[in-house]
Amino acid sequence: MNTEQTLQQTEQLLSGLSLEISFPEPARLDALITRDHLREAVSVLSKGGGYLSAITGMDLGPEAGLLEALYHFCSGPAITTLRIRLPRDHKATLPSIADIIPPAILFEREMQEMLGFDITGLDVREHIFLPDDWPDNVYPLRAEFSQEQAAPVAVRPAMEQIPAKGARRGNTFVVPIGPQHPALKEPAHFEFGVDGEIVTSARMRLGYAHRGIEKLAESRNWFQNLYLFEHVCGICSHTHSTTYSMGVEKLTQVEVPPRAQAIRALVAELERIHSHLLWLGVSAHEAGFDTLFMYAWRDRETVMSLLEQITGNRVNYSANVLGGVKCDIGPEQAKTIKEGLTYLAGRIRHYLDIVTTDAMFLRRTRDVGTISFDEAVRFGLTGPTARASGVNHDVREKAPYGAYTQFPVKAVTTTNGDLEARFFVRLNELLVSCSLMQNILEDLPEGPLTTRMPRKIPAGETISRIEAPRGELFYYIRSSGGENPARVHIRTPSLCNWTSVLEKAVGSQLADMPMLISGMDPCFSCNDRLVKVTRPSDNQTWSWKQLREYGIAYYKR
Amino acid sequence: MNKINEDLWKQVAKQVRAWAQLNSIWAVHFNSGSCNGCDIEILATLTPRYDVERFGITLKGSPRHADVLLVTGPVSRQQRERLLRTYEQMPEPKFVVSVGTCSISGGVFAGSYNVIGSVDAVIPVDVYIPGCPPRPEAIIDGIVQLLTHLKKNAQQPEMAQEVVP
Repeated sequence: MNTEQTLQQTEQLLSGLSLEISFPEPARLDALITRDHLREAVSVLSKGGGYLSAITGMDLGPEAGLLEALYHFCSGPAITTLRIRLPRDHKATLPSIADIIPPAILFEREMQEMLGFDITGLDVREHIFLPDDWPDNVYPLRAEFSQEQAAPVAVRPAMEQIPAKGARRGNTFVVPIGPQHPALKEPAHFEFGVDGEIVTSARMRLGYAHRGIEKLAESRNWFQNLYLFEHVCGICSHTHSTTYSMGVEKLTQVEVPPRAQAIRALVAELERIHSHLLWLGVSAHEAGFDTLFMYAWRDRETVMSLLEQITGNRVNYSANVLGGVKCDIGPEQAKTIKEGLTYLAGRIRHYLDIVTTDAMFLRRTRDVGTISFDEAVRFGLTGPTARASGVNHDVREKAPYGAYTQFPVKAVTTTNGDLEARFFVRLNELLVSCSLMQNILEDLPEGPLTTRMPRKIPAGETISRIEAPRGELFYYIRSSGGENPARVHIRTPSLCNWTSVLEKAVGSQLADMPMLISGMDPCFSCNDRLVKVTRPSDNQTWSWKQLREYGIAYYKR
Repeated sequence: MNKINEDLWKQVAKQVRAWAQLNSIWAVHFNSGSCNGCDIEILATLTPRYDVERFGITLKGSPRHADVLLVTGPVSRQQRERLLRTYEQMPEPKFVVSVGTCSISGGVFAGSYNVIGSVDAVIPVDVYIPGCPPRPEAIIDGIVQLLTHLKKNAQQPEMAQEVVP
């Protein structure tokens, strides 16, 4: 079924529920609906219109007097947006859809906290992104927000010191992890309730590394923002700046030259290799396999050198500019890259061999943290974690963008869904990336590197999606015709995968927690600290290191 | 006679302490709201190509075992308390290395509602390593500069009691 048919079908599904249906840009349907029809429309779409990609909340400002909530559903390249408009002066109430689509809860909590939507049916009122000392009824993404309103209030008890409800009953104890756990990409806080060896409850608190990027973006111009979004994540900085540039270029209707697109894809694939090798090393470390950690990171330096050679930087490369790229690849460089790729492909095959045959390692990965196909769909998983459970979803294949239309990619999937499958998928993906890059280098289009971009971007809104190393990265960009964006909403892939960590933790062995968390690739670096396990018998406190050692010793028995 | 012995002991103890300190710097890493760029470069300094363990430097899990606190990222509002708590848990003498532009000035995030700004607004900093992110070589250079400073202090007996400003 092609994109137009999908959209026509969706139009029919929504015809009785919506006030107005429009097609703002190719492959996108926009349906204005009322609040009362939201739940019905969402259940219709989740059955026949794809998966929920993100929910964007927006304040249209005091002049318009409206708040908007956009529910984006994606299916291949087709995007369906449900749009709800609510008056700004009243408390904006929306029904929760978290019982229909579980991962929606994170977006709903975000809207509640950042914009002051009142989500009925969502009984959580505690902060997830904002600090504990944040005043009540102050919403940073509202138009009238100012720094003075956010002055700290008397400090409430920090969230990480309150045990989860009912967690200290009988033999159940609370295991807090974080927040200043340097091993986490963003310092997060988890609380696992344990009954003996088995985890019985899981809770999470984010926001330690919340830097208010979406709000900052509204006060900077389109060009400055390119460098701001690069700093959303230091590991996949290129994917963020690419998604943002693609969106802005779409709004301006500027065509990026083919050579620039090919170089963007090349850098993106090199970044995927560096990110996956980083993950391989860290996961191996969590399993107690430090030899593999050191080898993987040694080989990762090959990619870092290549990236440095192309862009001049090891991390945060700034390869993109709006309308193109700023670095070219000459014949000498192409030769070095090819040599590097041949070496890496050999090493990756070796690692693939190890993680699928080493008996000791398989005991830590085979049949651990298994996520079935149905669960993967229900949790809204994305990226390699989803593909390991048989969900054939890769934006590069399903909705090709940029150079991927010219150089197609075949997604790697497998059906086991356990940790071993995730190792298998990620490493095979690297082999695909290596051969893809060889193809790009063989066939690098000639031509200019940049197109001219205007300083002011025409009014409008757009969505751009790309396949980041961790899964689908989603940007919603809205321009009001000025020098600054009116709203940018980012949905990072890790956010979707967190739900599954919490769900799968319950019922698992405590000893499997380090591997389970790192298996989702929430950018676990290898440091060790600040997991504290309080044991009932001796009231002894463990560090992350001790927990890791305990996990290793447990499997030696 | 006793007085001389006591002085001699003090001198020897001082030298042993300086020797131990210079040869085994244990560091603890704290992410105060960073984009993770600096964090992966700190990790890269530990791995085979840069191998900072040559200098006896190793990352430790607990701040109670550490001599040096490596801080990355601008300080976010939620992390401020935790940064202070981590710093206070470290035993004296302790040194703070602020890694990356964001930890020095707030970087691209300066002016955000949830970012306080530089690390030295919260805790005293001994070494600043600029860069976005600093290369592993720069991080090693920063730490070696700290070591050189400690060495100089250890050779000046009257300064040895003082903590590096």
